[in-house]
Amino acid sequence: MTTRRSAPVYLNLFRIQFPVGALTSIGHRISGVLLFLAFPWLIYLFDLSLRDAAGFRHAGMLLQSGALRLASVPVAWSLFHHLFSGIRFLLIDIEAGVELRQARASAWLVNAAGMLATLLYVACIR
Amino acid sequence: MSNPVDGLRTWLLQRVSAVYLAVYLVCIPVVFWLRPVADYTAWRERFADPVMAIASAGFILAVLVHGWVGLRNVILDYVHPIGLRLLILVLVAFLLIGCGFWGMRVLILASGMA
Repeated sequence: MTTRRSAPVYLNLFRIQFPVGALTSIGHRISGVLLFLAFPWLIYLFDLSLRDAAGFRHAGMLLQSGALRLASVPVAWSLFHHLFSGIRFLLIDIEAGVELRQARASAWLVNAAGMLATLLYVACIR
Repeated sequence: MSNPVDGLRTWLLQRVSAVYLAVYLVCIPVVFWLRPVADYTAWRERFADPVMAIASAGFILAVLVHGWVGLRNVILDYVHPIGLRLLILVLVAFLLIGCGFWGMRVLILASGMA
């Protein structure tokens, strides 16, 4: 009953070729998991901010604290990268930019845009 | 009767929720840029607005669907021991559903319906 695939096992990290599209893809997964982990904290802040005027101020103070500003940087990158690469995957789903050269170019664009948007975010909150 | 979290339906759910999330995430900054919120009263009134409340409830629902399918795919790919895999899937489901109810409660309280 068990059918084993005979895919080559090739786990030497120095010999694995990582094309740019693979970085976009693994980044999409990592950012997705980070967003999932951030979700309860965001709901908490949302709850606090809508509770009453004191809660609103408290949430504002928390958001301005050093710890939360630092923690928000990977969350911001996750949001930007996940959104940009997600739009790219949706376009590829509808057969836009499937051709290898275009797909490579859009992967570069998406990776760079995620980083750039994060840098802009850091510049805004520092 | 096919498994509701398998195959084409899952693929489609992931894409439909993705489009909703993307549209919401692009619209929200524009809304707050056009009509800034200065204090608690304005913030609360913004989420008491039915359009905003319903759009945000839809956002939370889309996060649950999208998060579940995405996390499930990642867990099935990387966690192979069946017991551990089941444990993590259950934890993820509880966390998503718990946060979903929590978020909906916040929206309902803010809307003044309760």
